[in-house]
Amino acid sequence: MQKILTVAGMHRLLYVYNGFVIFVLMAFMCLTQERINNSMTARAFLEEAGAVPQSSIMLLCTTLAASLAFVLLGHLYRKNKNRYERYFLFAAEVIVCMFLMRVLNLSYDGVVLLVAADLMFKHEGHRQEYTLLIALICLYVIANYNLAIFRTKIISFEAYVSYYNADAAAVLLAIKNTFYSLNIVCFVFYLVLLVKSTHEEKERIRLLNERLEEANQRLRAYAIEVAQMAETRERNRLAREIHDTLGHALTGIAAGLDACIMMLEVAPEATKQQLNKIRDTARKGITDVRRSVKKLRPDVLERLPFQEALLEMTKDYSESSGMEITFDIFSWPNNLRQDQEDVIYRVLQESITNAKRHGHATKVKITIGGNENYLLIVIADNGLGCEEVKHGFGLKHMRERLELLHGTIHYWSDEGFIVEAMIPLNREAEHDKNSDSR
Amino acid sequence: MSKKILIASVVVIAIIFLSWQMSRPVTLTIGIFAGNNWDVPQGEPYAIIDEVIKNFEAENPGVKVKYISGIKKEDYSEWLAEKFIDGEEPDVFFVLAEDFNLYVSIGALMNLEDFIADDKNFSADVYYPAAFNFGKYENISYALPAESTLTFMFVNKTLLAKENIALPKNDWTWKDFLDICRKVTRDTNGDGVPDQFGCYDYSWLHAAISNGVKFFRDDGKTSYFADSHMEEAIKFIMELRGVNGGFEVSPKDFDVGRVAFRPFTFAEYRTYKPYPWRIKKYTSFEWDCIKMPAGKSGGNISVMDTLLVGMSSRTGNKDLAWALMKKICYDEMTQQLILKKSQALPVRRDVIISAEAQEIFSWEESDTATITPADISDAMDEAIMPFKFKNYNAAMLYADSELNKIIKGVVPLNNALNKLQKEINARLQY
Repeated sequence: MQKILTVAGMHRLLYVYNGFVIFVLMAFMCLTQERINNSMTARAFLEEAGAVPQSSIMLLCTTLAASLAFVLLGHLYRKNKNRYERYFLFAAEVIVCMFLMRVLNLSYDGVVLLVAADLMFKHEGHRQEYTLLIALICLYVIANYNLAIFRTKIISFEAYVSYYNADAAAVLLAIKNTFYSLNIVCFVFYLVLLVKSTHEEKERIRLLNERLEEANQRLRAYAIEVAQMAETRERNRLAREIHDTLGHALTGIAAGLDACIMMLEVAPEATKQQLNKIRDTARKGITDVRRSVKKLRPDVLERLPFQEALLEMTKDYSESSGMEITFDIFSWPNNLRQDQEDVIYRVLQESITNAKRHGHATKVKITIGGNENYLLIVIADNGLGCEEVKHGFGLKHMRERLELLHGTIHYWSDEGFIVEAMIPLNREAEHDKNSDSR
Repeated sequence: MSKKILIASVVVIAIIFLSWQMSRPVTLTIGIFAGNNWDVPQGEPYAIIDEVIKNFEAENPGVKVKYISGIKKEDYSEWLAEKFIDGEEPDVFFVLAEDFNLYVSIGALMNLEDFIADDKNFSADVYYPAAFNFGKYENISYALPAESTLTFMFVNKTLLAKENIALPKNDWTWKDFLDICRKVTRDTNGDGVPDQFGCYDYSWLHAAISNGVKFFRDDGKTSYFADSHMEEAIKFIMELRGVNGGFEVSPKDFDVGRVAFRPFTFAEYRTYKPYPWRIKKYTSFEWDCIKMPAGKSGGNISVMDTLLVGMSSRTGNKDLAWALMKKICYDEMTQQLILKKSQALPVRRDVIISAEAQEIFSWEESDTATITPADISDAMDEAIMPFKFKNYNAAMLYADSELNKIIKGVVPLNNALNKLQKEINARLQY
């Protein structure tokens, strides 16, 4: 019962009911024709009929064929997605409907309501109201004026009925009218269900829309938050850049100038050389700043392969500051990403700067190694070290940078100050996922 | 894959079915009733159609023609209607006059106009107009005439000779008719009761037709009974009736030779004239037939009844059916056969006036036979066709009973015809 009371169920019921009525009418006509022939009233019937009837077997075949064609076309019409194909299918359905009514001698026009039901079923709103209206009017005109068109060719139901006696005829007519009325009732009920389901559908869509709107609002708030976060991060990054580039250069320059002040009297020639180097460092610093502004990317990295860039950077620094920097490279990963390169570069740069600035070191040893899973960088100096590490800007930034790559940083004082940075390689993506799900 | 096999097998089956259909000989059916349309005895009911079928099958190899034998004329109408309801109607069938309008109006008969127009070997001019037009409905041909018969006046030659009256000529009139009737009506055995009469069975219908009365409009919706010609005819009949002095003439009087005139169809003439019927039916007198007497405003006109052949509008072999129709209704050989073997008249003019007809019509060696093929041909040309609209029989039955009241003097004539016309018009409306 619950199943029938859906739109699709009711639609099916309409089809089944009409099929039943058509079959009953067809059987009635066939049987009456047989009876007329058996009771020797054929000529009187022809006179009453006013047309040549189809033979029973033809009636059966044409009715079955037309009904099947009708059901098939209706099905295709309801399933079809293409609008123009659907127009074509609908036209075909109307033609078959007319043919079916013609076969049944127009004694039953309930099939028109089936066509209307199909039409309503596929009705899509928009500006199709007019199409629907026109189509429905046309269907009814067809149903009513069919009679006029085929008047000379059809045998009225009454002609068949007139074969029976008055009592039976009255009952037969009543049955026929009941068939028709029931069909209308079914159709109206179908429409009610259809309207109800359309309404429910609309309600559902409205609710979905509300939820969508809610989600949209949340998304908007989130977007603003993200923008703010991005701004903060960018600010931090800028601070880092300024610290890394300008700080690095200026520290080098300051250290160099200190040396110059002391050497000036003693060895003016060496001082001159030293000043040249300081100038180069300053220029490099300027370039760095420009680049920071422009691209926020180390110029050396732009120009040279990464390893050479590192060597050049350290060489420059050691030349300008007089600090001895040595490299120990055990292994070198092949395919470092640019962000990884950037971080390594900055970590080295910062560590060297720190060694000079805070530890007053004279020697720095850089060891790079690791395996396919991670890269380990150890920067050890022979400077003062410190009892308690002050978390300045530099260390904090290094940590932030490394954390972006899911790397870690450790530092401690031993014979000098030691920084140990670890950057995971390759598996980074997986790592990403894991950390997300955690 | 299975879909392809399915389609292929359907196609193969269709091809096999079609080729089987094509190779099958085409079968045409004819709807025909036993005996003839003219209510006279006939020896071999299917002699002519068998001959026609034999010729047709010889001319069209691969075509079979069959018919169901044994259907009596009175059952034929119902039989044909049943066949139509079963959808098994014959391709070509004889149409009774009373069925013609029904079958045209329900669309059961094929419109023949295109066949007639397209067929160069066919010309409607060979037919007598009254015969060919009988197969028309609202000026469209739906059937072809196969054979006809018309009404003539039988004359008791022995009686006229006894009374010293010359045999009337073919252009005789009511006045001649009435004069002869007056002369012969008398009491021959002296019992005070007249026992010799002028005519038997000459009705107001015969009189009206020979006086040029047209009873109905062609569509059968209006009648013309109040026409002055009709009044003349009624007055003439009353006069003729007056001659008998109130005595009703019986058919027995005619059979034993005591009546001078009696209208008969030509089929009856053909049936009873030659041996052996002549011996069996009318032994006591010599007789012959002449045209009907002409009315004041008409001519020597009588009604020509025609048997029609039509084609089912649902036939699958239109061209063959048309050929078969032509074989029955148009072929000269067939028409000759009708002349030789049936009591009816062929509908082709050239057959009626042919030498063979001359031979067939002169049964008697004597020169006394008055009717010649030329006379018959004239009569057929002048003849009118009966009406065949739906209410015709009912209207005529009513008119007959009312007119008989007038003729017998039960109802005065003065305004009775006007009243009758109105009555009948009212009946014709539904």
